[in-house]
Amino acid sequence: MLKSKPIQINWFRLNRSLHRDVGYFCIGFILIYAISGIAVNHKNDWNPNYAVHTTKINARDIDWNINNDQALIKQVLTLANTQLDVKASYWQSQNQFKVFLHDDANISLNLNTNTLTVEQIRPRPIFQALNRLHLNETHQSWIIVSDIFAALLLFLAMSSLFMIRGKYGAFGKRGLFILAGFVIPAGFIFL
Amino acid sequence: MPFFTKITLVVALMLVQVQALAKTLTFGEEVDSDKLIKISTVMANPDSYLSSPITIEGTIVGVCEKRGCWMTLASDKRFQNLRIKVEDGHMVFPMTAKGNKALATGKLEKIELSLDQTKRLLAHRAQKAGKDFNPDSVTEPNVVYQLSPTGVEIIDNNVEK
Repeated sequence: MLKSKPIQINWFRLNRSLHRDVGYFCIGFILIYAISGIAVNHKNDWNPNYAVHTTKINARDIDWNINNDQALIKQVLTLANTQLDVKASYWQSQNQFKVFLHDDANISLNLNTNTLTVEQIRPRPIFQALNRLHLNETHQSWIIVSDIFAALLLFLAMSSLFMIRGKYGAFGKRGLFILAGFVIPAGFIFL
Repeated sequence: MPFFTKITLVVALMLVQVQALAKTLTFGEEVDSDKLIKISTVMANPDSYLSSPITIEGTIVGVCEKRGCWMTLASDKRFQNLRIKVEDGHMVFPMTAKGNKALATGKLEKIELSLDQTKRLLAHRAQKAGKDFNPDSVTEPNVVYQLSPTGVEIIDNNVEK
């Protein structure tokens, strides 16, 4: 009777293959999280979800019809030089009147400073979609998907330790790179 | 009818339906219109509305620019409004909703500010209004009310010329 040969698994090769394929799979996720990560990191400097363009118009010589909202709206629209349809208007205070227009435009009249502020809001569709994913603002099921992605990142990190043998491996001089990856965040925590 | 024409008609019909759906945005649970109460009525005696859920409606006059985590609804009374606030990411209100009507069902919350918080809030409001502000003029802490919604509906307004 012939004896079957035991299957030899080359763990090193398997690890490399898995690292490669999981890496390919993660490219899309990494791009999403990296791009939106930069966008969200700088949310105090710019609005990652909307481009808001603001124009100020000086209105010093106008006698505003503050007792007639419809007439006041006409004055505001004329000065702002817009033909857009009005959605609503609102007196925020005795000196602040707002007109909300279609096409995501709004006008604020400040009677203290006699200025009109015209705001045009334009969504940034790609950033908005990426940020929604990054901040888990979408379906609950995305939490499961992003957990799987996190697990795959852990695998990529750990499997990278066993990618290369010898002097270019993680356990030689190049181990200093690994150490740096721990020391830099630790520095921000403890210093 | 040729196949291509059929496909075109189906796609056009779907686009019309999608546009019709886009007229109302909903967040969270369904809004309970049976609990609808005017903002001015709530704000006249807010402490009596803290115990059970209410529904309010009003024009959206402000939206959180960074996370879409709050909206300010105009009251039926001049110069008055009420903020609805959710935890970051729980609901994300679009900035483009300004000027549309919204309905929100939830619980009214009372927030007692410290004197320092009151000064900062009033300084921020004065700055937005283009007014001067003297922090020393504030001697008493303020109380603010906001609605923590379980359900929100944003309705596209009719055009008003």
